[in-house]
Amino acid sequence: MSHARPIARCLTLAMVSFAVVLGAHRPASAIPAFARKYQTSCQTCHVVFPKLNPFGEAFRLNGYRMPAETEEEIKETPVSLGSEAYKKTWPSMVYPSTIPGHVPLAINIKMADVYASQTDGTNRTITRNDFQFPQEVNLFAAGTFGDTFGYLAELTFENGAGVSIERAQLTANSLFGAGHAVNFKVGMFAPDLEDGFHEMWLMTNNGIDSLFTYNPIGPNGGTGTAEEGGGISLPENVKAIEFYGVAKHRLFYTLGVTDGLGQVSTDPGSNPQSTGNDVHSAKDWYARVDYKFGGMGLDGDTTGKTLPPENWRESSVRVGLLGYYGTGNDVVFHEFDDLGNPTFDVIDRRYVRAGLYASWLWRDLNVFGVYLHGKDDLTTTDLTTAAVTQPNPTYDAWFVQADYVIRPPFQVSLRYEDVAPGDPSAASIRVGNANFTYLIVANMKLMLEYQRDLHESKNYNAAAVLRFAF
Amino acid sequence: MRIPIVTGLALVLTLPAVAGEIHGTVACKGVRDSAGAVVYVDAIPGKTFPAPQEHQKINQQNLVFDPHVLPVLAGTTVDFLNSDAVQHNVFSPDACAEKFNLGTWPKGQTRSYTFKKDCVATLLCKVHPEMEAFVVAVPTPYFAVTKADGSYKIADVPDGAYTLKVWHPKLKAATKPVTVAGSTDVGFEIAR
Ligand SMILES: [Cu+2]
Repeated sequence: MSHARPIARCLTLAMVSFAVVLGAHRPASAIPAFARKYQTSCQTCHVVFPKLNPFGEAFRLNGYRMPAETEEEIKETPVSLGSEAYKKTWPSMVYPSTIPGHVPLAINIKMADVYASQTDGTNRTITRNDFQFPQEVNLFAAGTFGDTFGYLAELTFENGAGVSIERAQLTANSLFGAGHAVNFKVGMFAPDLEDGFHEMWLMTNNGIDSLFTYNPIGPNGGTGTAEEGGGISLPENVKAIEFYGVAKHRLFYTLGVTDGLGQVSTDPGSNPQSTGNDVHSAKDWYARVDYKFGGMGLDGDTTGKTLPPENWRESSVRVGLLGYYGTGNDVVFHEFDDLGNPTFDVIDRRYVRAGLYASWLWRDLNVFGVYLHGKDDLTTTDLTTAAVTQPNPTYDAWFVQADYVIRPPFQVSLRYEDVAPGDPSAASIRVGNANFTYLIVANMKLMLEYQRDLHESKNYNAAAVLRFAF
Repeated sequence: MRIPIVTGLALVLTLPAVAGEIHGTVACKGVRDSAGAVVYVDAIPGKTFPAPQEHQKINQQNLVFDPHVLPVLAGTTVDFLNSDAVQHNVFSPDACAEKFNLGTWPKGQTRSYTFKKDCVATLLCKVHPEMEAFVVAVPTPYFAVTKADGSYKIADVPDGAYTLKVWHPKLKAATKPVTVAGSTDVGFEIAR
């Protein structure tokens, strides 16, 4: 290895890191299928779509039902698939169900004019200005079957990436015990490990990418982010079985088992992908416990509480602990040099993530953030010397975001993201994000957003985003 | 029946015994049906009506205000009952109702507001922006709300000459002079 190479490599990686942050997809749900079903406004559940207000959060955790929902609240008469009385005849007859009277579809469309600037380390700055019209189109289907089941599916068409399944989940609510205590979810979804901070609940166009796209794989640990072909930091989407629930209105828990590290591409030189079918039999586990002080209960309970009529406001603090554990003994990642020759093979034998979530709501301000600490037990094989080492790098990733409602149609958001990668020689990732949102009408918004690499002023992007949902 | 035809019965007893009625149809053009128009007798010179003791009620149920349009005699207190498991709010952006805001309250509870003067007060709920209702506070106890077919009936109106007005949430208001002598038919056609 020549003396100049590592520096060049570092710079290339820094550039790639930031480019990935720009390019990451951001599925985000605003589901007007529910607005139709209940004939209610977006503002019933969203501060500004897709960010949920406390009621919207309760609605989601209730399996997309109103707290203590009554039949009359559902303004779109469902189609009965068996009368109520059939419940008594089970198992002589099939248990009854309902389906929506209309196909419960909703569409989100996002258009963006993105101006991006990137420098490649030799002081050459590349700028581009894209009309991403559309940047993304999401098709949702969501609703409930009878009293117990709920479903959500999302197909996403992404500019330059074709169509993908973003979510496909079936939930069963209040399976046994007290209402809301035990629910379960199966399918592909954003795990509740990320409840409250996954991009789905965020206001800005640029999701909290570094937390999700940090790649822990490298000869001495992770050096940056990679959207695909990397190991797991926190998974954005999982194929999993999850139990979750709310106890005593304020205690939230989730426990899930996921497929873990994904498919090996058929291309022999390339790395495992985070999507697709599993390559190994081991499963990953995650868990989370939260408590909310003040404000509306996590199940929508308001007993003894007088909340302000401005339904985005409340005085509350929610704190949570989250953890993720997995093994990747038989999944081999290949590292390449600049010429594309394999240099190292890396196995992430065991990875542990522990995180802390906090969200504080006070009047028109919501400050929230996540701190995540990760440890990876790696086995790396230097392909030139055949030397095998077992480094145990750790990394820290965190962000803090402040959202402020100036007036309901006008909101601002600021975020700082920081990752200290596992490889001690790798530069940290620091990204700032500023957003101004104008909710033109209840289901259409304009956002002006600026994101910058805080190490390098020439790495930034500015975007005007138009989003609407119907 | 969801839309009560309210009359100032108690007051009528103090008036001349000759009681007529005004009835007819308000044809509402350009809206789905002809329900929800308020027909009322405008202020009668030299005559005032004391504020009624009895409260009127608007129910908030299934995320809807019921009734959608409620005419009252100025001075009437309206009770807002929340019948839903979720909290509701009631406020009015209108100056003639002092831009009141009653806050939020849970199921089974009531909060009240007295509509002191003549006013078309829009009622909204901040929690559910789609919720909307109107309290139309008018100067006489002679008023009615139209049914879907546009028909209305104001009972127990003393014989005499009046100004009859019609108000609708979306359509232009209209005015007609009327002379009530027993059962009197007055039709309106209103449009945007
Ligand atoms: Cu309401």
